[in-house]
Amino acid sequence: MKESHPTIMSGPPGTPGPAPGWSDGEVNTSADSLALIEGEGGQAPPQRPEVAPTRRRRVPLILLALLAPTALFALILTILPLGYAVVTSFRSFRFGQPVAFIGLQNYFDLFRDSNFYRSLGTTLTFTIVATTVEFILGMMLALLLKEEFRWQGLIRSCLMIPMVVAPVVVGIVWRLLYSSDVGLLSYGVQLMMGHPISVLSNPSLALPAIILVDIWEWTPFMFLILLAGIQSLPQEPFEAARVDGAGPWSTFRYLTLPMLRPVIVVAVLIRALDAFTVFDQVFVLTQGGPGMATEVSTLMVYKTAFRFSQFGYAAAMAVTLLILVLFLSAAISRSLQGQVRQV
Amino acid sequence: MTRKRIRSNRRTFLRDSLSVLGSTALVQFVPGCGRTTSTTGRGKITFGSYADPAQNVLKEVFLPEFEKKTGIETEWVEADFSSWFQKAVNDGQTQAGAFDIYVLDDLWMPRFAGAGYLANLEELGFHPDTDFVESALDLGYWPPKTGPRQPGIDPKARPTLFGLPLIGDVQLLFYRNDVYASGPPATWDDVLRMARERSDPTKRQYGWVTRGVKGNPVVNSYFVLLHAFGGQMFEGDWKVAFNSPAAIEALEFYLRLLDYAPPGVAEFDSDQEGQTMLQGNAFAATMWTGWCGQVDDPNKSKVAGRISFSVPPKKVKQVAKLGLFMTGIAASAPNKQGALEFFNWFHSSAVQTQFARAGGTPCKVSAFKDEDSCRKSRWLPETLKALSIGLASPRTADWYKIEDILGTALNQTLIEKGNAKRRLDAAASEATAFLKNAGYSAG
Repeated sequence: MKESHPTIMSGPPGTPGPAPGWSDGEVNTSADSLALIEGEGGQAPPQRPEVAPTRRRRVPLILLALLAPTALFALILTILPLGYAVVTSFRSFRFGQPVAFIGLQNYFDLFRDSNFYRSLGTTLTFTIVATTVEFILGMMLALLLKEEFRWQGLIRSCLMIPMVVAPVVVGIVWRLLYSSDVGLLSYGVQLMMGHPISVLSNPSLALPAIILVDIWEWTPFMFLILLAGIQSLPQEPFEAARVDGAGPWSTFRYLTLPMLRPVIVVAVLIRALDAFTVFDQVFVLTQGGPGMATEVSTLMVYKTAFRFSQFGYAAAMAVTLLILVLFLSAAISRSLQGQVRQV
Repeated sequence: MTRKRIRSNRRTFLRDSLSVLGSTALVQFVPGCGRTTSTTGRGKITFGSYADPAQNVLKEVFLPEFEKKTGIETEWVEADFSSWFQKAVNDGQTQAGAFDIYVLDDLWMPRFAGAGYLANLEELGFHPDTDFVESALDLGYWPPKTGPRQPGIDPKARPTLFGLPLIGDVQLLFYRNDVYASGPPATWDDVLRMARERSDPTKRQYGWVTRGVKGNPVVNSYFVLLHAFGGQMFEGDWKVAFNSPAAIEALEFYLRLLDYAPPGVAEFDSDQEGQTMLQGNAFAATMWTGWCGQVDDPNKSKVAGRISFSVPPKKVKQVAKLGLFMTGIAASAPNKQGALEFFNWFHSSAVQTQFARAGGTPCKVSAFKDEDSCRKSRWLPETLKALSIGLASPRTADWYKIEDILGTALNQTLIEKGNAKRRLDAAASEATAFLKNAGYSAG
């Protein structure tokens, strides 16, 4: 392989060479177009035309005027509440006592709170398992349904149904399914094994049960985004790979996956962040029980603020979670981009 | 037909945009400046409430009647329990004045009265008569008339009336009169004995059903047993007592009853508990009076006419758990006088009797004793007895936190079917630490 000739298998800068599983020189001839599409696999990314130094352009007043309302709304609806939450986290709201500034005391208390760590662990488990399974299932469905075939529209529409149902309704439906006395699941288990099963009151089964509900509801979302991404990929590299004799797995691993990278990052990020803030299903199905088995962080924040009226402590939790979410999203983004580059 | 040529430039675009924006904002703003005024001229009162079928009679019959009598319009705004709590707290905190009358769970009274969200009814001129059920009316006072006071509350402050009972809800023992043929069980041991003798899981016949889901439901289920066995939540000045020997004995008895309950009661809330009774699958349960109206309806109950009511049985004491619907006038109410007029009208003994005759659960003794009412709603005599021996949850704004700690421990005990002492001790330690941190003596 020539160093100067970009290939689709090339790794990150500094690791030139073919990836395993695809013979050297087989697809080199067709990879130029892809290199142009990707802009990263190649050694020489397309350069922007040089702009001659000109006089500095002034932003027209009309543009500023038109942007101002949006900026104002963003400030009022996003920045100010966030700032207020941060300020609140430094205060103590004790019933019967004046609101007091207590510095970082809420954060110190939080870092000593074993229930907070437990809920964080539950939330991370939920997020990782649900997002991973949803991604795998969504990708499989997208690959399966990307081709044109009869009843395609109907099948796709049916797959969308769980996603458009309100999460609370989903929770209620699944609560009925899981119910140990009249639930379909319990009935089926009783027919097969002779005794009913209590899913939501079993600490080992309750969290998997809620994850299953999330997978049922949100796999279509993953499928939809990945399908749109797959369908928007250029066909030339795939045709070239077919001509060169690449099999389905090689095509998926060395063409589809790398080219779909930006879509995957967005889809996984959206789902992971959404899963990290799961509330409705847990609230309806278990209220965090049995015991503390499904007590996710958002439920803890909700209860602390709105049931226990410890607004300062709840704000400290919320701010800590926000920081964690930012780290999580950065980690997912970097990890996914890195992984796909290595492919 | 000639078409007028429209010239567009930056200036006209800006001018037109601003005028559209301005008029849109004005349209949104003007109605928000004040609430819709009454067409009758006597004003309007807005109720905010959680949704509950126990209030249907009030909404459908008595509010229209009040409008007719007084010329004051009424508006009923409701949400689910949790959402309404948040809305009410927000309205109270911001003093927005969106509501005139709050409907409150009795647990919320310390928080709403103590935080200044409610108007002082005595200052407004409401003076309760002696016909009120005393235990129900007491829940409307803040600071509480009896028991310890939470930190920050002047120990010598005179209890003041901030709320009135709306629905006299209390837990009764619902029992199958075909199983308990000789009358209601007098003691908890009778309940256990009957459960042992008559339960048959193969035919889905259970001696007992309960709410076991963590938090408020399981705590309410345990509350009656705890006090019946001589235990209590707190002793003296907020010393946690729900891990006392009596409390442990009560929980162990609860676990013994669980052997004769449907599988999965640890996930049961009120709806599943009630349905188990109405489907004829259980012989006894302690349930809220809100279910009473359904037991004789063949469309809702498979055992219509075969469920009776009594005050909960005793062990060393006989108590019932209060769970009243309270009302208070918002401190920021735009129409306090209208709200007061409603209170005076609805809480008069005559209207309370009509309310009871229409199927509501009143809060006046004379209404409970009205013969017509008792004939129509056969649970009223037992409800009055239960109210008179009723106990409410401890009167502190921090009760929700304690309830959460205890509720989690109880739920875990139900799932493990054991470890009563270990779980209660752990919960007591956690609750004590919380209370001390919050400024209670708890010692």
